[in-house]
Amino acid sequence: MPRYRIRYSKKGPARFISHLDLLRTFERAIRRAGLPVAFSQGFNPHPKFSFGAPLPVGVPGENEYMDIELAEEMPPGDIVKSLGGALPGGLDLEAVFQVPDNSPAIMSLIDRAGYTVRLDFNEPIDAGLFERCMSDLLALPELQVTRTNKEGRKKTHDIRPGIFKLEGVVYGDVAVLEMEIKTGSAGNIRPEEVIRELTGIGNLPVAEYGIHITRNVLYAPGGRSLDE
Amino acid sequence: MQQTLEKILPHVQKPSRYTGGEWNAIIKEWHNIDVKIAFAFPDVYEVGMSHLGLQILYHVVNSRRDALMERVFAPWMDMEGMLRKHRMPLFSLESRRPLADFDIVAFTLQYEMTFTNVLNMLDMAGLPLRSAGRNKNHPLIIAGGPSAFNPEPLADFVDAFVIGEGEEVLGDIIDLYKTTGYLSREDLLEKLATIQGVYVPSLYRIQYGTDGSVTSFAAVSGAPEKVVKRVLSDFDRAPFPSNPVVPYMGVVHDRIMLEVLRGCTRGCRFCQAGVIYRPVREKSPDTLARQAVELVQNTGYDEISLTSLSTTDYTRIRPLVTELLNQLEHKGVGISLPSLRVDAFSVDLAKEVQRVRRSSLTFAPEAGSQRMRDVINKGVTEENLLDAVTASFGAGWHAVKLYFMIGLPGELEEDLDGIAELAIKVLQAGLQCRVAKGRLKVTVSASSFVPKSHTAFQWEPQNTLGELKRKQFYLKEKLKKEKKIAFNWHDPETSFLEAVLARGDRRLGDVLETAWRLGARFDGWSECFNYDLWHRAFRENSIDPGEYAYRRFNYEDVLPWDHIDAGVDKKYLIWEHKRAMAGVLTPDCRAGRCPGCGLCPALEIKPELPGGDDYAPLQNPLQ
Repeated sequence: MPRYRIRYSKKGPARFISHLDLLRTFERAIRRAGLPVAFSQGFNPHPKFSFGAPLPVGVPGENEYMDIELAEEMPPGDIVKSLGGALPGGLDLEAVFQVPDNSPAIMSLIDRAGYTVRLDFNEPIDAGLFERCMSDLLALPELQVTRTNKEGRKKTHDIRPGIFKLEGVVYGDVAVLEMEIKTGSAGNIRPEEVIRELTGIGNLPVAEYGIHITRNVLYAPGGRSLDE
Repeated sequence: MQQTLEKILPHVQKPSRYTGGEWNAIIKEWHNIDVKIAFAFPDVYEVGMSHLGLQILYHVVNSRRDALMERVFAPWMDMEGMLRKHRMPLFSLESRRPLADFDIVAFTLQYEMTFTNVLNMLDMAGLPLRSAGRNKNHPLIIAGGPSAFNPEPLADFVDAFVIGEGEEVLGDIIDLYKTTGYLSREDLLEKLATIQGVYVPSLYRIQYGTDGSVTSFAAVSGAPEKVVKRVLSDFDRAPFPSNPVVPYMGVVHDRIMLEVLRGCTRGCRFCQAGVIYRPVREKSPDTLARQAVELVQNTGYDEISLTSLSTTDYTRIRPLVTELLNQLEHKGVGISLPSLRVDAFSVDLAKEVQRVRRSSLTFAPEAGSQRMRDVINKGVTEENLLDAVTASFGAGWHAVKLYFMIGLPGELEEDLDGIAELAIKVLQAGLQCRVAKGRLKVTVSASSFVPKSHTAFQWEPQNTLGELKRKQFYLKEKLKKEKKIAFNWHDPETSFLEAVLARGDRRLGDVLETAWRLGARFDGWSECFNYDLWHRAFRENSIDPGEYAYRRFNYEDVLPWDHIDAGVDKKYLIWEHKRAMAGVLTPDCRAGRCPGCGLCPALEIKPELPGGDDYAPLQNPLQ
């Protein structure tokens, strides 16, 4: 069955859609659009589409990915037109392209993500101090963080190898960070973990509700584009 | 406000409750609209968005060029805390405007246990709680829905109630408001009271005796003595949304709700819906098929629920289901029946339509003995039930749920024994049908009878809390050795308070306000309900709630809701009450013989059964 890769954005009210609800939302949009989607076999058939790395609730995504299988070939432009017109506010199609029928699942291709983070501080921050925090963090040979799993057990992980890029600028009491970190089924770092470690180094006073994260882009290993 | 909202939304549970922006939501150009209405649902988003009435009225109002309707729901307690902390007023989902900016705020009262949420939403909107404290600079506060049929506990807080079906009367209110919005609040309310179905409580002077009955009653300023409910005729052509709002998040009823008929004439004597939604009106099969196809196209849902009080009573249900399956099955769209009548026909139908097999079927015999089922006019026999469950087990279901009520008028120990015996017989039917022993399950759910206004049982006392608890314990003990029977019961304190409010009067307004001030919210949610708060509220106002729940009214008493006319003759309800006490059944008026409830002549309407046999109601034998 012909396979299509869809790049879309999830912003505004749609950024609060949970991953489970996003499945439902796309399933309904696909039906409204009348796309000839392929169905899984079995007792309770469901449309064949799959998502890349889930976004945390509340985090906007500029370039997210999903794959969809259709029962017949369709020009990608027609998919943009029909599905794009059936999506609720905040979900927009950015690009659609056909991929080989046997290409690996989108989830398995995703390796890293690029984020922009705006940090609001309670007071102006010295630019030099902020620079030092970043370079100190990047200079660490390892960076152990503690995570709690679903059963409530604590486990430590070294996140340093998964931090590929960390840059930032301070404007008074606001800092804007750009980071690329490990994302996907082979290991995942949450941007909040990096921020916690970074602001912890310099004891930087982050304001209440002062962390604003946007996921800009998802990459294949080595930072290669997924648009192929 | 917008910025603060963006900041706090990531920090509350289920933020999609508050964002708006869903598919088919309607945002109009605010400044070009004459009358702006907020539909206020006093429960969380997931509950409110499962309510068909909201979708219908949203469609009706937004179809007008001169009016708009936006939605607001009760914020969950975490969001309430955030909004209050940041001093943000309660806002509508569509344009994110404070409720105070609207001309009219329209609450729906689906359940008595949402009343404190009504007060809380008014307060969060920054509006004076009481009608007397508001003027023409505040939005007009109106309320409708089933609990408006005894509006008295909320009489001090709501400016005008809408009694009966809202589709047409809301239009009348908008038309009037357009030309009289400049009037003082008092003058506007007097004008509103001239619309049939609109009840303006401030135009009625009511005093009560110690027994709870009305001792003096006066309508002033030309308000009618009785407010007669509104009801739609030509239901087949009633406005129905083909573009309902489709939530982002999973809601309680997350599917198309296609209303196939309104009303129910089975005449169960405890049932308020059976009275207030009379007469029975069906849509034609053609209309339903057309609406079903449009709804699937416009929403993208993969399931249609055929909703009504009793869908298997739809005259041409089988041909309808066949037609819908023919049109929609190839699109992967399934059909579901929300409730099943207790008979084998209904089970066969469920087997035919339910593409996605739910694990259990639910039946409501309501009472355990034939005597008690005759008292409540349930019209179901043990044979009906055993046929139904045998058909279910035979068709591959291995779990059934049975709904019963305890505390019904005149209930004896043997009636409770009947519930346990019936549950065991159902279990045995499962064993006989060779349902795998590991999977066979019978769930018995016992709720407590709540006497409701406008029913044949409106005069009856509720069982005391102690009696209800004892009966629950008795049943639990009786069923505990049956490992395959699960027994659930409702919190009796909730049912008690429901009875107090359902038969309450204006003296409860102070109690409601006190309970709300003490922190009562979401009283219908067992995790939020705190009876202690209510206990304190009653005590602070020197009101004994037992006098409301446990009082027995006499036939001659003027009841606190007697000026609200649901169309069914009070003499008929008395006749029905006497028949109940004698254990005599009253047949469904659909079956051909009109028992004479008096509604059709009083409201100049007839049952509508398009596609069924033509129907001629008999004269009221009581007159």
